[in-house]
Amino acid sequence: MDSKRPTENSLNIESGTSRRGIATNSVREVNFGDHHHPRGTTAKHVRHGSRAGDSEAFSMSQREINDDDARLVYVNDPVKTNERFEFARNSIRTGKYSILTFLPRNLFEQFHRVAYIYFLVIAVLNQLPQLAVFGRGASILPLAFVLLVTTVKDAYEDYRRHRSDRIENNRLALVLVNNQFHSKRWKDIQVGEIIKIQANETLPCDIVLLSTSDPTGVAYVQTINLDGESNLKTRYAKQETLSKFPEKEKIGGLIRCEKPNRNIYGFQANLEIDGKKLSLGPSNVVLRGCELKNTVWAIGVAVYAGRETKAMLNSSGASCKRSRLESRMNFEIIILSMFLIALCTVVSVCAALWLRRHRHELDFLPFYRRKDYSEGKVKNYNYYGWGMEIFFTFLMSVIVFQIMIPISLYISMELIRVGQAYFMIGDTQLYDETSNSRFQCRALNINEDLGQIKYVFSDKTGTLTENKMEFQCASIGGVDYSGGKGITEKDHAGYSVQVDGIILRPKMRVNADPELQQLAKSRKDTIKCKQVHDFFLALAACNAIVPLVIDTPDPTVKLIDYQGESPDEQALVYAAATYGFMLVERTSGHIVIDIQGQRQRSRCSFTFLRYHAKIGVMILFITVTSFTTSGVCIHSFCRTSNNEESCIRSLQEATADMAKKLMAVSGVTYDTEVTSVASLTPAALIVDGTSLVYILDSELEEQLFELASKCCVVLCCRVAPLQKAGIVALVKNRTADMTLAIGDGANDVSMIQMADVGVGISGQEGRQAVMASDFAMGQYVLFTCFTLTTAITEWSSVLYSVLYTSLPTIVVGILDKNLSRRTLLKYPQLYGAGHRQECYNSKFFWLTMMDTVWQSLVAFFIPVFAYWGSNLDASSMGDLWTIAVVILVNLHLAMDVVRWTWITHAAIWGSIIATFICVTVIDAFPSLVGYWYAL
Amino acid sequence: MMMMMNPDGASSSGSGKDGASHSSSSAPKKNSKKPIYSRFSQQELPACKPILTPGWVISTFLAVGILFIPIGLASLFASERVVEIMERYDHDCIPSNYTKNLLGYIQSTETNKTCVKKFTVPKQMKSPVFIYYQLDNFYQNHRRYVKSRSDKQLRSKAFEDKTESCKPEDTTNKSPIVPCGLIAWSLFNDTYRFSVKDSELNVTKKDIAWKSDQEHKFGSDVYPKNFQSSGLIGGAKLNASIPLSQQEDLIVWMRTAALPTFRKLYGKIEVDLEADDEVTVVIENNYNTYSFGGKKRLVLSTTSWIGGKNDFLGIAYITVGGICLFLAIAFILLYVINPRPLGDPSYLSWNKNPAGQMK
Repeated sequence: MDSKRPTENSLNIESGTSRRGIATNSVREVNFGDHHHPRGTTAKHVRHGSRAGDSEAFSMSQREINDDDARLVYVNDPVKTNERFEFARNSIRTGKYSILTFLPRNLFEQFHRVAYIYFLVIAVLNQLPQLAVFGRGASILPLAFVLLVTTVKDAYEDYRRHRSDRIENNRLALVLVNNQFHSKRWKDIQVGEIIKIQANETLPCDIVLLSTSDPTGVAYVQTINLDGESNLKTRYAKQETLSKFPEKEKIGGLIRCEKPNRNIYGFQANLEIDGKKLSLGPSNVVLRGCELKNTVWAIGVAVYAGRETKAMLNSSGASCKRSRLESRMNFEIIILSMFLIALCTVVSVCAALWLRRHRHELDFLPFYRRKDYSEGKVKNYNYYGWGMEIFFTFLMSVIVFQIMIPISLYISMELIRVGQAYFMIGDTQLYDETSNSRFQCRALNINEDLGQIKYVFSDKTGTLTENKMEFQCASIGGVDYSGGKGITEKDHAGYSVQVDGIILRPKMRVNADPELQQLAKSRKDTIKCKQVHDFFLALAACNAIVPLVIDTPDPTVKLIDYQGESPDEQALVYAAATYGFMLVERTSGHIVIDIQGQRQRSRCSFTFLRYHAKIGVMILFITVTSFTTSGVCIHSFCRTSNNEESCIRSLQEATADMAKKLMAVSGVTYDTEVTSVASLTPAALIVDGTSLVYILDSELEEQLFELASKCCVVLCCRVAPLQKAGIVALVKNRTADMTLAIGDGANDVSMIQMADVGVGISGQEGRQAVMASDFAMGQYVLFTCFTLTTAITEWSSVLYSVLYTSLPTIVVGILDKNLSRRTLLKYPQLYGAGHRQECYNSKFFWLTMMDTVWQSLVAFFIPVFAYWGSNLDASSMGDLWTIAVVILVNLHLAMDVVRWTWITHAAIWGSIIATFICVTVIDAFPSLVGYWYAL
Repeated sequence: MMMMMNPDGASSSGSGKDGASHSSSSAPKKNSKKPIYSRFSQQELPACKPILTPGWVISTFLAVGILFIPIGLASLFASERVVEIMERYDHDCIPSNYTKNLLGYIQSTETNKTCVKKFTVPKQMKSPVFIYYQLDNFYQNHRRYVKSRSDKQLRSKAFEDKTESCKPEDTTNKSPIVPCGLIAWSLFNDTYRFSVKDSELNVTKKDIAWKSDQEHKFGSDVYPKNFQSSGLIGGAKLNASIPLSQQEDLIVWMRTAALPTFRKLYGKIEVDLEADDEVTVVIENNYNTYSFGGKKRLVLSTTSWIGGKNDFLGIAYITVGGICLFLAIAFILLYVINPRPLGDPSYLSWNKNPAGQMK
């Protein structure tokens, strides 16, 4: 009896408010719900973090929803519903562009790269005849090429999004038209229409349940696409609407509900029907994206459609991610541009001084010749006066020095990324055998960020752990039954029941302890036996599991699949089944348990709860281990009876309360819940979704961030998709560090899109996460080792191409474009060479700049002094400088290479040799005069 | 279980070809997307990782020092052996009554441009002795200048009209100038005649231009036309009966210099000049450098394996070599006095105690 008290107490505490809510919602639940659903519903409410919302809903139901704030939905009258305001139709669009907007929008996005604008300006400048330094067409080609490639890539991606939209919009649903249910395309569904959903169908829009196939109005739904939880949840139709059949009698009514919002765990509305006013809560709506399970049909009225559905509001849309490197490069390009402008200013000032000093000589100066004497009238030749001449000099020097920011850099960066993606996809260590899937690199432009990540956000269930619970051992009445492991294959056939010539067998097999099995089978009336019997009976009976019978190829054998809220319950029921206590059937009124071949039809009554509580003591340490195949983290739960589970809940409640009282969420270390990896850390912070409701978007954010950044691990449990994204944003906005989010379910999509790098796992929970992610993989396989090895020399190699091959060219002034690009071609191979974690920072940038200036000075002036006053001609000097620079760059690069493979050797020495050959070839053909200019 | 057997069987038959390099890589199953194993795709190519150990650093510096200093010494020595005589004449060749009116003097066709200079040979000069003219402050590399030529026109008679790039010296009376452009127009036209002890020295003007230029860049069927015929006269005139490929002075001039101070080959003296010989040179001072303050020099020089006289290269080599040697010695001393074990993890940045010493 001692043990019973806390159980009841905690139950009372936790279910106090929500039960009140339920009571007002539905009267009929008392019988069944009182013992069974309090647990189920509380679990649900706490899970969704909407306890507070619930109590608010309660108070809200008293208060009228203001007509101005409300959306009025006339049941079964879409015309009237949409009369005053045109509510959104049910068609959705996730594509970024339409055919008309594609080109301008895509170009606009592409020109976010500062460099592109720069190249555009240069290309335009090159079109002016006075300035033409290079060929006009040639100056546009590289930019056009880069733009074209990106545009085609974006167009293809968007086409795929449009295609999936089209498929989605053209799915069919049953809609009530003229008292008959007709198939209608999803996109044509309107708010106010009555929709009929059949088992295993996906909801086309958010509906308020009116009636279901279950006489009590229960509908089971799977919310996997919304919050990633694969278990079944219960939703209820109102008692008042239950008995109405829209095909026979016309249903009329008015739903006043709140404006569309993102909160998937909250819903406030009231329904006026037959003169009565009923309040509706979150348990009465089924949201778009859910699947109806275990219920033959359900009828509801559409309240939100299309982009106004909570599911769509929660997907934050495909965002265009730019890598840190790229934004960094934008910054550097601005610096370089300023440098360029300064340089050009110096040049034009010098030119102005020179023009001024020689203003009297310019007419005749053999190498300037301002005047054109060839025709009778003497006029200026290619001279537009002082100011213009200085201006042109400026523009011209811009064109000449444009190589400071080489466009080939962008091309080579793209090549590098393609190469990296090739290696990542081809990596055997990132291949998952079980799902036969390779690593997928879905966003090419953020590869290099992988090496820079500081914060990792991971979805736990299904991602870190596979969410597979298995019954391992039990301790009943103080006796530990975990010794026996000697189970042969024969014994492992598992337990089965024969009913009407059909063999029923649990779908999952559990390793049985022979001793315990013996005890469970025996019918002796020892205390030990009784305890074991009670134990398993409790396991089989006291849960919210729904058994589903599945056909097998063999018509005489059927499998029982246990569907339920929590995987641990599932595991326990499977265990009970293996030991001969098989849950065969559950309806709203009774359960059928097969005990060692005997059928027991039991009316679920309150006694069971007491029973359960009594046994609570006995169920000590049912160790349920969740397996991770990766071996990264073995997350084990040690659960002591259900009491403690509720204790944990009340703890969470306490944290939520504290948060309410403007206190920072206190760090609670759960030694029992988080062991292994997490226990090694000095402090872990646990926050749940309920608390986050108060924390996010308030001044508490700052405090949470400060506290969280002091902890090694922060656990956020029962968190809505957007809250996940909110936490990522919290870190992303407050620090300059890179964030990475890993997830597998649709509920992780927002998080994945928010983080700097999103990783999707193609797991059991669908493929939405993969579609939204930047990288996708079969499993969470040793991710850390992977991130360290890629994205290696990116920073440095890019820098080198920016600085080494460009700054010297400024000073050199004569460098063939072909050659510099050739020099850059070696970088794609290079990344395979380095396995470094060189930190890139602005100090490094400036040091490299200075180093570059120094090197270019040397490369420029040594030949100048060596050949001062000699008969060396310009093109020889140009070749000399070119080769000097190429050798210098390559040697410098060679110094930074850590791993020398034959590819590296070939690239570096080959590049030097190629330069020699090119210079020779270019000089041999007089038509290929590429570098005739100097100031 | 049966399903598993098949791939196993396949792998045992297929692994022979693989050389069984990796036991873990079983042969791919049907429809398997498992990436193919290769050392390249797995980034496992054999590689060497050079580590900059003190030994390596010191020996590299030593090697560079030991290599560079002799090279520097050798080039200095070679440069010393080159005998070079340089005479500036642009100023001295102006008659005293024209010192205030340089432009008037040089632009007038009436004035006597002949000028005589004498100099003594300091050391014996072995033949061939190269004669150069050196111009200062003449930007042959100026953008406007460099572009003002038509390579096509120079190469072939068929492109005689290709003169767009030559402005403002492209046509005269609608007829193309050959060779067109500012470069050709400003052809150097001073001449020198040398004599030692009253006997004239023969100056060879053959083979002063690049063979490749003569053969490929200047056509043998292209003859000067309308050149320096009207308007402003820029420099030398060309004999219209000699094809461009034989106009070696022009070819030399058209190979534009890289730097504003440059010299160009004028001719060669094929006899030795003895020490203390007094050379008399008669200069026809025609070329106008006065308008932009350019200097004109006459240079006589022998050659060695490093070319003309150039101390810079030798000094640079010796300096770099010296610095390298110095660094090598400094590193050796550092290494001897304060050695540091290789691969000491305490030097890693995260192991360094920022607060100072650890007790």
